[in-house]
Amino acid sequence: MSKTEPHLIIRMGSHAEKDYIQKTIQFMDGIIVGANLLEATPGATASLLINCAGAKLPTITYYIDPMTYAFGQYIDPATRTLRSDLDWIKSEQKAAGKTGKTIRAVKHSYRKLAEQFGTPFSNALSRGRAVTQADLQTDAELEASCQRLADYQQKRIASILSDDPVSQALADQAPGPAAVFAPYFYIEPSNTDVGIDFLLACARRTASFTNKTPVHAVVCADESSLKDDAFLKRIGGEIPDTGVSGVWLWFSKFHEDKADGQTLTSFRSLIETLSAKISVYNMHGGYLSLALSTVGLTGVSHGVGYGEQKDVVPVVGKSTPTVRYYLPPLRKRLGVPQIERCFDSLGILTPSDFHEQICDCVVCKGVVSKSLSEFGAFGDLHYSTPQSKRLAQTPAAAKRCRFHFLLNRIKERDRIKKSTTAEIVNGLRLAHERWSEQPSLAGACDHLERWQVVLG
Amino acid sequence: MSHSTESALFDPVASYTRRKGFRRQQAEVQFYEYRIDLYGYSRGRNETVAIELKLRDWKRAVEQALLYQLCADRVFIALPTRASSRVDAELLRQHGIGLIAISDSFRCVQIVPARPSSVVRGHYRDTYIEMLLEPSL
Repeated sequence: MSKTEPHLIIRMGSHAEKDYIQKTIQFMDGIIVGANLLEATPGATASLLINCAGAKLPTITYYIDPMTYAFGQYIDPATRTLRSDLDWIKSEQKAAGKTGKTIRAVKHSYRKLAEQFGTPFSNALSRGRAVTQADLQTDAELEASCQRLADYQQKRIASILSDDPVSQALADQAPGPAAVFAPYFYIEPSNTDVGIDFLLACARRTASFTNKTPVHAVVCADESSLKDDAFLKRIGGEIPDTGVSGVWLWFSKFHEDKADGQTLTSFRSLIETLSAKISVYNMHGGYLSLALSTVGLTGVSHGVGYGEQKDVVPVVGKSTPTVRYYLPPLRKRLGVPQIERCFDSLGILTPSDFHEQICDCVVCKGVVSKSLSEFGAFGDLHYSTPQSKRLAQTPAAAKRCRFHFLLNRIKERDRIKKSTTAEIVNGLRLAHERWSEQPSLAGACDHLERWQVVLG
Repeated sequence: MSHSTESALFDPVASYTRRKGFRRQQAEVQFYEYRIDLYGYSRGRNETVAIELKLRDWKRAVEQALLYQLCADRVFIALPTRASSRVDAELLRQHGIGLIAISDSFRCVQIVPARPSSVVRGHYRDTYIEMLLEPSL
């Protein structure tokens, strides 16, 4: 185990996030996009990637997440049954030639992605059944598929640029990704050995290709796997032997601030074990992951406003979530009134008290400039449509929260780089001492104690 | 008779607070991500009240009441009498939150008085008073 300088890799979820990316990318270490986004908007995504990670910003790297897990089996959160019907990548779409009728079909971006990936992904869509290990049984099938995915990640940006007369000239200079991901699928907790075998086979085969780009594996599993000793032993012991140079961890439902001590300790141990041999990243992580660079974590990625954890099965049908204010001392998002309720007892009585004790980023200095009452602007509400019955956060308020969060995350990365473990732990201890007695934050500070134990 | 839903508690509590002088009232007043079950204003006392109704979960009610102290002069939680007996009255007193018990016959009794909020923010309070004084209400 050794301390590393944590890399902060921003994950772009949609082009609505372009403004955040463009304004902050120069302070990040990398950007990652899902291949489904690349196929949905090829020109715009390719152009953004080369502007973020090209000659203009040579120190920024990019990654394309092949999203292969989306073509696999998943556990239906409602019924807890294993489903192979690919329904999670389907949506209601207008039926051609039938006014007002809709059909449930695979999303356009995934259809295009399957065309790029070829068999068995395209076959899976045709037959309406998920890709499993049985589809890549022979060496030839596995090799062809792994090769095609590696090629896709390495050449897709150049290919998109060369298709457009305006950007053709840039195609030759388009940088490649920082690493190529081997195909990966969700490792279902009741069938971990089969899932791990499949992951190892894909990783080993992709790593065997002789190319210059490093190969990384992705461990995509349930949070409960962090309490499965057999799972941890195999992942820790066998992933480095596949020949990959890096591994990205993605534990579905794993919230750094909610996970119990045992889960967090296992997470740390896994990082220590793996980082002794290869680079380790957390695909959807937050402050704790950044702090775990002290025991070897190389990098953390997350979205612009949330996304410090991600469930494998997407949450569908819920209203747009409120982007809550990231409270820097607690490294956690909270509602405006929960925070404002603490002001008097913490002696935060003026904007300068706020800047000193809570946040002095440019967003906060701009918003909370004349009066503390301006803090409410982070939670401003409006009726988003004339039919709305309930007030929702204004886009401007959400934007303030996102920029404030990103600026703080950059600051956290920089501070962690310069800090010892003892300094980080002490910071968490002081924050807990100061904030945990606040009546409106009952239970909201407990993670600070667990993190001290895990890091200490 | 018994209280099977939170909404069944509303009318008795609204009548009770009206008798106490909070004649301008509004249900379901949104305060950021929360909805205050009943918000009232007494013109005579120039005082506002916020009430959180719950059938059982008094701890959750207290969490919300603590936040409503930012926007109302006095804050109560209101529960059926049987559930109200489980409430930690000392905790309520410590935070200045009041408790109203609603009997099976829908009679309201103040068990713990609410102290004036020490953290009320004029900008929230005044906005709600303005809303309650609109002629349409």
